[in-house]
Amino acid sequence: MNTHVSSDFTPDAVIIGGGIAGLQSALDLADQDLQVLLVERQSSIGGHMIALSKVYPTLDCASCITTPKMSAAAHHPNITILTNTEVEGLDTRDGVHHVRLLQKPTYVNFDKCIGCRLCEYACDTEYPDPFEEGLGAVRAIAVPFTNAIPQKAVLNAEACGTCGTCARVCPTEAIEYDQQPRRLTVRTDAVVVASGFNLNAVTVKPQYNAHRSHNIISPLMLERLLAPHGPYGRVLRPSDGKMPSSIAFVQCAGSRDESIGVSYCSRVCCMYAIKQAMLLSGALPLADITLYYMDIRAFGKGYEQFFQNAKAMGINFVRGKVARIDPVEDGDLSLHVETTEDAEDPLQERRHDMVVLAQGMIPGWQPADSTPVACASDGFVATPALTAPTATTAPGIFVAGTAAGPKDIVDTIAEAGAAAMQVSQYLYQKRSSVLVA
Amino acid sequence: MRNNDRFGERSHIDDELSGSDVERDEEEQVWLPTGQSADPAQSLRIGVYICRCGGNISDVVDVERVADTVRLIPGVTTAKVHTFVCSDPGQHMISNDILEENLDRVVVASCTPFLHEQTFRGAVARSGMNPYLYEHVNIREQASWAHKHDPEGATAKAIRMIAGAVGKLRYAQPLEQIKLPNHRRALVIGGGIAGMKAATDLAARGIKVLLVETEQKLGGRLNYLGRVYPSESAAAELVTELAQRVQQDPNIEVLLGWKITAVSGFIGNFKVMAEPVDASTSSLPGVHATVGAIIMATGFRPYVPRDGEFLYRSEPCVVTLPEFVQLMRNVSPDAKTLAYKQQKIRNIGFLHCVGSRQLDGVHEPGPDGRLNTYCSRTCCTAILQQALAVRKRFPQIGVFDFHQDIRTYGRGQENYYTDASRAGVVFFRYNGEEPPTVQVTPSSRAKNGALSVVVKDALTWGRELEVDVDMVVLGTGMMPGQIEDLIEQMKLATGDDGFLQEVHPKLRPVEVAVNGVLLAGTAQGPMNISETLAAAGAAAVKAAAMFAREDVELNPYVAEVDQSLCCGEAECVTQCAYEGALKMVEMEVDGELVQRAQVNAGLCVGCGACVAVCPHRAIDLNGWRLDQFEAMVEGIAADIPGRSCESELVTIH
Repeated sequence: MNTHVSSDFTPDAVIIGGGIAGLQSALDLADQDLQVLLVERQSSIGGHMIALSKVYPTLDCASCITTPKMSAAAHHPNITILTNTEVEGLDTRDGVHHVRLLQKPTYVNFDKCIGCRLCEYACDTEYPDPFEEGLGAVRAIAVPFTNAIPQKAVLNAEACGTCGTCARVCPTEAIEYDQQPRRLTVRTDAVVVASGFNLNAVTVKPQYNAHRSHNIISPLMLERLLAPHGPYGRVLRPSDGKMPSSIAFVQCAGSRDESIGVSYCSRVCCMYAIKQAMLLSGALPLADITLYYMDIRAFGKGYEQFFQNAKAMGINFVRGKVARIDPVEDGDLSLHVETTEDAEDPLQERRHDMVVLAQGMIPGWQPADSTPVACASDGFVATPALTAPTATTAPGIFVAGTAAGPKDIVDTIAEAGAAAMQVSQYLYQKRSSVLVA
Repeated sequence: MRNNDRFGERSHIDDELSGSDVERDEEEQVWLPTGQSADPAQSLRIGVYICRCGGNISDVVDVERVADTVRLIPGVTTAKVHTFVCSDPGQHMISNDILEENLDRVVVASCTPFLHEQTFRGAVARSGMNPYLYEHVNIREQASWAHKHDPEGATAKAIRMIAGAVGKLRYAQPLEQIKLPNHRRALVIGGGIAGMKAATDLAARGIKVLLVETEQKLGGRLNYLGRVYPSESAAAELVTELAQRVQQDPNIEVLLGWKITAVSGFIGNFKVMAEPVDASTSSLPGVHATVGAIIMATGFRPYVPRDGEFLYRSEPCVVTLPEFVQLMRNVSPDAKTLAYKQQKIRNIGFLHCVGSRQLDGVHEPGPDGRLNTYCSRTCCTAILQQALAVRKRFPQIGVFDFHQDIRTYGRGQENYYTDASRAGVVFFRYNGEEPPTVQVTPSSRAKNGALSVVVKDALTWGRELEVDVDMVVLGTGMMPGQIEDLIEQMKLATGDDGFLQEVHPKLRPVEVAVNGVLLAGTAQGPMNISETLAAAGAAAVKAAAMFAREDVELNPYVAEVDQSLCCGEAECVTQCAYEGALKMVEMEVDGELVQRAQVNAGLCVGCGACVAVCPHRAIDLNGWRLDQFEAMVEGIAADIPGRSCESELVTIH
């Protein structure tokens, strides 16, 4: 894997973000013999997708789909990958983009680290594992997760107790406590913004009281609970380790809601909630599973059939907006919901022992702050060109995936391919016009 | 001695497996293939890697026991277990072992080869091993998932499957991919927005394109649209912009009013024939072309309701959404009212999901016996766009919307819903099992409209409501395009929904099982315009990557003739179903001119029909030779240490 970049390295394209969008764009460019630099701010490529359990509508395990793309990118001779690296800014001069990068210290020399994990085994300081959405613990120095790329240990300076054990056990003297941030600027002709999404906070709607109960969880937490290699190896609710017997999915808990500033639909929540409900009913065959929704938006190829299968499996679909959630005794939760199903009793109180809030998708990065790329009123990258949906407002800078609005994996992959196509034709046009001139 | 060490281990395993202490002499027979005299692979060093798949496999299959057992198979020098063999560390482990333990064959037992066979072939190739000395065993779909409730049986089956693969590998020979020249020109079938986008994308990259459209005009379905959501720009603008680029690009050759009538060949070398659609008015001869890739941008056709479905074609004011779009487009700028067929329109009802989301037992199947169970994805927003346009243009018209779910999922689409609500569109919701009906309003009540929509409305807790309207607009969805001839010619697969089927929605989303054929836009399934443009770009980029190579590389699984055994009886040629794949050629043997069979590797698909009929075993399939099959069967049917094959017949359900 190429991980070395000097200031005279001028890749054909820089891809900002190593999630599924960035990986697919990188592969589609590299396969056309273009040199690509992929920049990822986390310690591993793979983005959100690598942490998912299974993916709809095929129910393939997410790792099985993501790892080959990660691995293909890592082994591609035309792709250079920088992890732990942020884009501080981008200026365009004479059609050339100067991408200012900040490589954060990992306190491990990647040239020396062989990924043996001896440091991780020896470290006695732990902190909540971000890969497990805080449901498990990870050592202060660790390889980020089983199938991370690169397989290099990274030290979390905030968690580290500076005891020096890792340096003592490292067989290759790779630990460098004095590592400093490194800044470098890379010049390139084309850029793809594939900076992905974040979820808004589970606490975004105060009436759901997520700050008062550990059993109101985010869908990404449930992904980890459902993953065969997840934190507990089975589905347990966080507050007391009880196997939940009645689980509620509260849809549109952070989207389609002007009161929290997210009026748009996050597009993926219906389908992942249905998927999670199906997986839960496999993991906990006796559990009651209820999905509270406004509209089921199963619009993609094979999605409607997936939804119908879930109904046939006995998952309860209740059309109703959850107004309030209150923690009650034994860690359970009381949901106040207005349903459209019972004329006699439309306002109901229902009890569940775990609640999953479908949070909304919001931009993962604000390129407008430090680059010429403009964002639209929804906060995502603006794509004004009618016939080129991946073109941004800045010439030579393109966008793919959820950086340009909520999108599922299938649509993200298509768009990433389209962005790669835009880049390669942009480069071809730019370079052939230079040749002519 | 290595073997003794391993056999030493074996008795320990025997104890575990059967509790019996079997004599070593008997055991030594156990894994040896009995049917073949000379095993060519006594000195092989085979590595077997067993994947836990994060638990997908190891929660059922005892992977450690599988490793311990297969390690005893002669030739297997390494057997290891990993959580994700496909991950980088997993692949690295294999590469390391190839280099450090001098492995010359590798087996990975994991998921379906469909997902990762290529991944591991690549991994072994990077370590300098011939990629065809690799075997993939599917112990997930075929063992852990299929026998979830029988861990013992699943484990035994996994062991046997691996034993079969090891047997096959013993007779494997290194193979090389077949390299053939790549014709750097793409055929795009369909001149709608997907086809125009794919064509211009490739042409702008310097790649020649032949674009064939059956209509006399570029633009496809877009020619029938008014304004496109969410930009509200005119569809005609979009068509004009793309059509101009198509027509002005010297790299694109356009045939309008032509169709593709014959396709043969393979990736990099397709031979296609185009002919005028209307042969009676055209005296032009057909055109032959050679192209490297084919992009299917054949689009969709709108669902057309059956006669009488929601009173369509029996009541004049029941129209489809495309018909309504035309009506709105033709409204004169100074019109104060909306009229249709002499009827002044005061109230309109829009029905969602006409011809989409159909349910067995509720809806009547189409003429092909098929229900459109899918969601057509675009109609909700398209309906709301029209509903809103009516309310804005003619505020006096009452607009009623009948839906199951409002699916305004995309960027800018939710606004249509909120704006329509604010503009006074009245919404009714029905359950899919109880769709609304359209009736002629009894004359006593007809002053509000000649038609009424009867709906069991979920928003008023299931009350049955009758809504009187002058016009009903049926929100018709998308149907697969009528391209049966091409599907047949090109051997393309369609899904349950009738649309063209991709290989995998995430791994190979625009590719089909036929290499070199790519999908762009609604030929694959319902999509809106921006999604179609993205899909067309994704198809174009795959073609561009393919054209970045001088040659195309094909799998080497093709038939090969052993000329020393061929007697020229030509039975294989008679059996061959693929034109040109196998033919008799004249050659000189011992000074005599004789007929001998010869394979065209580009056209051979490796079906093996020829192998079965050759009386002299002179023709065989590379990578799947008869001796490999025999060794596979031997491996599968061999007695596992401590357990005879017969005893297992009971165990494996």
